[in-house]
Amino acid sequence: MNAFDLTEDQQDCLQELINVAMGQASDQLARYLDTFVYLKVPSIEQVKAEHLFDTLNYESDATAIVSQGFFGYEGIRGEALLMYQPKDSHRLADLLGYEADELTFDEQIIDLSSILTTTFLNVFASQIDNQMSYSAPRLLSANIGKVNEHIQQQAFNWDLALKVRISYQVTDYSFNCDMVLLIPEAAITNIKAVLDRILAEF
Amino acid sequence: MLDGLCDKIINRLNTGVLLLDRNFNILMWNRFLAVHANQHDEQVIGKNIFQVFPELPRKWLERKLSSVIQLKNQSFCGWEQRHHLFELAHSRPITTDSDFMAQNCTFLPIEEHGQVTQICILIEDVTDIYHYQTQLKKTLQELALSNRIDGLTQAFNRKHWEECLAAEFSRARRHHSSLALVMLDLDHFKLLNDTHGHQGGDKVLIETAKAINELLRMGDLFGRYGGEEFAVILPNTELSGAEEVAERIRQTIALKAVDYQGQNIGITVSLGVAVLAQQDKRYEDLISRADNALYKAKFSGRNRVSLADAS
Repeated sequence: MNAFDLTEDQQDCLQELINVAMGQASDQLARYLDTFVYLKVPSIEQVKAEHLFDTLNYESDATAIVSQGFFGYEGIRGEALLMYQPKDSHRLADLLGYEADELTFDEQIIDLSSILTTTFLNVFASQIDNQMSYSAPRLLSANIGKVNEHIQQQAFNWDLALKVRISYQVTDYSFNCDMVLLIPEAAITNIKAVLDRILAEF
Repeated sequence: MLDGLCDKIINRLNTGVLLLDRNFNILMWNRFLAVHANQHDEQVIGKNIFQVFPELPRKWLERKLSSVIQLKNQSFCGWEQRHHLFELAHSRPITTDSDFMAQNCTFLPIEEHGQVTQICILIEDVTDIYHYQTQLKKTLQELALSNRIDGLTQAFNRKHWEECLAAEFSRARRHHSSLALVMLDLDHFKLLNDTHGHQGGDKVLIETAKAINELLRMGDLFGRYGGEEFAVILPNTELSGAEEVAERIRQTIALKAVDYQGQNIGITVSLGVAVLAQQDKRYEDLISRADNALYKAKFSGRNRVSLADAS
């Protein structure tokens, strides 16, 4: 066990916060998108920098990844990666309520990523009495080969990250995508402090 | 007092600030926008955003803004997807070729009692980033090209040519389409080098490559295989068609005289032709059959086309 491992209580607490946030987020999304949005039970685990590429690659044959940074008070910060597969993309404009010729595919997934990320994290933040700000979402690459290259070429300045993975399903549009929240070391300590405070209040 | 100070700061920001009500009427804008849009407050304040900026993609933006109101989420629009939303002048009119300011726009919900009452649009000038990214992209494309080209002859280099062949080979096998390969070698090139020097030899290589290139169709892939050896991939081509191309190359080169320092250098080529056959399991198999045909052409007297044995 290292200093960045969550205790069992902390892990349960975080899981519960995420579950509640997912419930509310899917409700808001359903209203906005006018269709049901299912969020699968999330997985929470630690990932080492050198294995980031493997876990991303293993979990989905994503062809496009959109990154968006988030930052709140008390040093809660990280990066959200939204991962898409090619078969997911056919009716995206339709789902978002746009005409297909109004915007490019890149813009569609960037738009959707931003909506998914901010909706979930806003609810999550309000549960821990926090407030999130976001960077502009960026398409890392529309080509997984290049994403792999991109990630593999990085010399990360972190060793360990907390990884929360949530899968979204919009069955009416046969659409899936994965949201992977990555919280770097320094922020894990801060999240642990917040979790401890919440646990103490019970 | 702080309010006044904030006003001052907002008006000194190099970021556009635009405040809308829920009906998309403009409540406030800052000096940055007034200056770059070159309009007066009275032409703008209280007016609908689509009236003041008729260039905006109305349907798309209305949907975008409604998502901000409904989800109470901030939303973005970046220059990489849309170069600009607002047609604004920018700060590098002289040293870039951008007509309008490249923009990153952020749409922020302003909440009161849990309801979004206003939307604040922040507009950043990213013309600089746009300009340098575009330059970088262009440079990378040039670099990628020069990585594929043989510097002397401007034909594809060996590495890239082989990659092309590998791709064409698997495509032809997958689609059961035909594929031909012509390998050719300059005759007595060593002698030519000895007589006229390496610069004379280089000139011959350049001129030969140029002449061959002019005979090829779009889609044919021409590369320098080795020192004085060239190769042409002919997709969707049967043996008779490939033989015709090879013969045309042979004749053209034989009739051509390369001028080097006032001397005419005559040159001929020998060619081997092979087409994709069942027995070719790898693209290298096709190369070796074309290569064998080329040696056959050499042995039977040079300046001729020889076909690979039919399988």
